[in-house]
Order: sequence, then C-alpha cells, then structure tokens
Amino acid sequence: MPLTGTRLAWLAGALVAATLAVLVASLLIGSAGWDLELIRTLRAPRVAVAAGVGALLALSGLAMQALLRNPLADPYVLGTSGGAAVGALLALMFGVTMAFGAAAGALAAGGLLVLLARRALACSDDASPRLILAGAMLAAVFGALATLLLTLTPEQRLRGAIFWLVGDLSGADHAGATLAGALLFTLALRARHRAIDRLLLGSEAAHLLGEAVRRLRLELLVGASLAAGLAVASAGAIGFVGLVVPHALRLAGVQRTRDLAWLTPLGGAALLMAADLLSRSVVSPIELPVGAVMALVGAPVFIVFLLRGTR
Amino acid sequence: MNAALIQTRALTLAAAGRKLVHALDWQAAVGERWCVIGRNAAGKSTLLRALAGVGDAALHQGGEVCWLGRASRDWPAADAASLRAFLPQQPSDRFPIGVLRLLELSLVQPRHDARALLAALDAMALAERNVLELSGGERQRVALAQCAVQGAPLLLLDEPVAFQDPAHQLQVAQWLATLHQHALVISAHDVNWIARAATHVLALLPDGRCEQGTVATMLDAERLARVYGCAWRAVDGEAGRFWVAQ
Repeated sequence: MPLTGTRLAWLAGALVAATLAVLVASLLIGSAGWDLELIRTLRAPRVAVAAGVGALLALSGLAMQALLRNPLADPYVLGTSGGAAVGALLALMFGVTMAFGAAAGALAAGGLLVLLARRALACSDDASPRLILAGAMLAAVFGALATLLLTLTPEQRLRGAIFWLVGDLSGADHAGATLAGALLFTLALRARHRAIDRLLLGSEAAHLLGEAVRRLRLELLVGASLAAGLAVASAGAIGFVGLVVPHALRLAGVQRTRDLAWLTPLGGAALLMAADLLSRSVVSPIELPVGAVMALVGAPVFIVFLLRGTR
Repeated sequence: MNAALIQTRALTLAAAGRKLVHALDWQAAVGERWCVIGRNAAGKSTLLRALAGVGDAALHQGGEVCWLGRASRDWPAADAASLRAFLPQQPSDRFPIGVLRLLELSLVQPRHDARALLAALDAMALAERNVLELSGGERQRVALAQCAVQGAPLLLLDEPVAFQDPAHQLQVAQWLATLHQHALVISAHDVNWIARAATHVLALLPDGRCEQGTVATMLDAERLARVYGCAWRAVDGEAGRFWVAQ
C-alpha cells in the first residue's frame, strides 16, 4: 500500500532517529573507551567515512535499479564496484590519482553492463534475471582481475586484498568527499524524480510520456558509477548496501523517487555505520572487515528477494 | 487543411519476409473509433505500434505515419506525448506503485480528473492499490485510465478488452463511445464487441492488403470470412444483429 503523508513522516522520523542513535553509539562504543580526544581524532573520521560510503552505495543502488529497471541491481553484485577496484589498483600501479582510476573503472564496468543489457533494455522484459546473472559474471571477472593485480603488485604500496575485494573501513579516508558526493547525488536525483519515476514504469512508457529516456539513462549510469567509484576509492568494494536499503524502503511503502532520494542515503549511512560498529565490537579488539559483515547480512537477503520474485 | 489526426501514406510493414500491411493509405479524425481486425499474427499490434511511433524500425518497409499532417518521427517526444497515448498489450510492471500515483505520473496535460476516469472504468476501488497486486482485468482498466488521463486526443489501444469479463467489456465499450473529442484506434477480436464499440473498421487480410470503411459496410459475412478464414452467419434478434463464426 502506498504511504500516506503521515505514515511517511513517521517512517522518515524513525529513520532519522535510528541514524542518530547509530551515529552516537558508533562514536561512543569502542575498545579504547570514552576518551574525547580519541573520539575526535580516530572514531569521528571513521564514522563519517562509514556514513558517506554507505550513503553513496545506497544511492548508487537506487540509481542502478532505475537505470536497469531491476529492483535487484546493486553496484557490487553487478560488477561496478569490482570495476572501480580494478581501476583504482591500476591507477596505484601506474601512479595516477587513485580516485580517478576508481571512477574510470566504475564507469567502464557500468558502461559494459549497459552494453550487455542493451537488448534487454530495448524490449519490455528489461528486468530479466539474465541481466543479474550477466552482471554477476562481470563482477567475477573484475574480482579475478583485482586478485591478479594484487598478486603482481609489490605489497608495500597497496592496502590488502581484503580492502579491495570485500571492503574495509579501517584506515579509510576521504570522509568529506564521500559525504559531499552523496549530498550532490541526492540533490540530482531529487531534481529528476518525476522522470525517474516514469522510467520505472518502463522505457517505452517513459518515452510515450515524453521523457528523453536515453539522456536520463546516461545521467543515471554516470551518477551510479561515479558514486560507486568514490565509495570504492575510500573503503574498497563493500557490497549489498545499494540492494538492501532501497528494497527495504520500498517494502515499507516508500515508492516515490522524491522520497527515496533522501531516505536511501540516510538508510545507507545508518546501515554501514551499524555494520562497522558490529565489525569492530563483536570480537573486539580484533576488527572484522565491514564488507564481510555486509555480505553475511546482504547475500542472504539478496537470495530471498531473488527467489521470492520482485513482488 | 487536413482534419485527420492521424494518417498513413503508403505504409508498408513486414516481418520475417512476410508483408503484414501493404501500402496502407488511411486516416482517422476526431470522433471516429476505428477497430483493427485480422487473424492472429496478421500485424494488428505491429500496425498499432507503428501508428504510436514506437514500432520496430526494422519492420517499417516504407511509407509514413503522420500526426496532424506531420511525419510522426519528426515530432519531439514531449510534443508527441500530448498528442497520442498508447495502451500496449501487456503492462510490464516491476516496481510497486499505487494506482493514483501511476495516473498522476501519466498526466501530461492536466486536463483530466484521475478519479472520475477510474469511476467511469469501475476501477475506483483500486485507487489505493499497488499495481503489482492487481488482476489482469483490473490492471488493464487502470491502464485504460492511464492512457486517457494523459490528455492526448489520439488513443491507440492494443486489445483493451482482452482480459475483461462481459460486464466490463460492455462498460469499456460504453466508455469509449463517450470520448467524442478523441480519435481512437483499437485492436480487438470480438466482432460483436466491435459492432458495439466502433464506428469504423480497418481489416488486415492475410496477404497484407487492407480494407476499410464504416462498421455497417465492413461487417458482412463474406468479408469476415476473408479476414478470419472461417464462415460467418448473422443472427438478427431483438437486441440487434449478432455474428457467429461457424
């Protein structure tokens, strides 16, 4: 059932409260206790990166779902994050700015995916599971390439395999860039919310209603890829945030892109901050890679969605 | 100069080496309700898609479709949206969306009242429902409302009553008859429904030739036999003339 204004306000309020609660808990809880200086210099930057990366990944998923018209689309599952990781590794090897490499890699992977999906996108059956399978294979290829590059690279120059393959927030940086990127992407999606809602009806339906479908899809592709690239550059390839968050919001009855555009990054930030808190407090003082925690939660959710169909 | 809302000039459509429509010259004006008839795979959907400007270019072998005297391919998408609406045979819903929101998104010219349209199509009870949860017939009536709410004078409807029960088939026919400010092109199979709903008939013959005219002239046993490949008999009763395939 679609949400009425009051119920939407309640849901948004609850999500804001949950995000704040996770934020405070993330700042206060940790192996070293409550030292204010420690919170300011160590925990706060890490929590900010978690929030920024979570928001970017969730937004990237939202945009990819509209682009491919598939509620199961996610930058990690479909290989965009893998492409970003390969791009970043190549950039590090050749001494180019890493974020630039990640963005280029994500764009290349996203472009390749759209190319592969071209036929499916042209006809009305544009949400086919085949698209997801093709994307999963793309992800496998990029995962293998990243592993090869990691093997060939002198170890001192790179962060570990875990960072690039499943994502890790320990020592992650670029908090400001990820948060600013998420804010920009949110505003861009909100500006185009009506056109995106029409695209969700189908590319032909959107065209019949007068939308410039190709341009909109190009914008979504660039936005989703850049968001995934920026997230990977700062925290490695963390999966399933982009799948779980928009899906959960849709299940809760949020249907309009206008609302999803700001609830999704909020939810993504809360989810990744919570996952990070979990990953550094379960077997404290040992820190688990947050990407592994997200995959343990996200992959089963993905399987349930896949088997249940999209309804 | 030209009262026709839509017009074809020597339109030729072919699929897999087979001519579906050969050199069709035809036009429709406001107030006319055209029904396209023909056998399965005769090219009804292909023709409607071509008329709507969403046809597969590979099937388009010649001629052109004009809206208000101007070739349809020259119309910018945004202008075309306020001229024609198209009901495809099957909706392809992937994401949950409420019926009223769907109609609101389909509004191009804010001229129509979504709720009144839903009421006219016996779909008022569906207003708050999610399209993914509707039955085939319900979804189709919502799709009809969606087409009408767009505000375009040219409505191209591909089998609008395929999933409707008899009562709703009748209701849709009556509703279509109220659309005096529109030109309608409809594909359908039920000859008796067509006799009730249409003013004109465009028949696609198996060899690609087309015949056209008013309902009264087009619906005769000999022509129906040519179109469908089976014998027809007219039964005249108190409620009018009915056609029975034999």
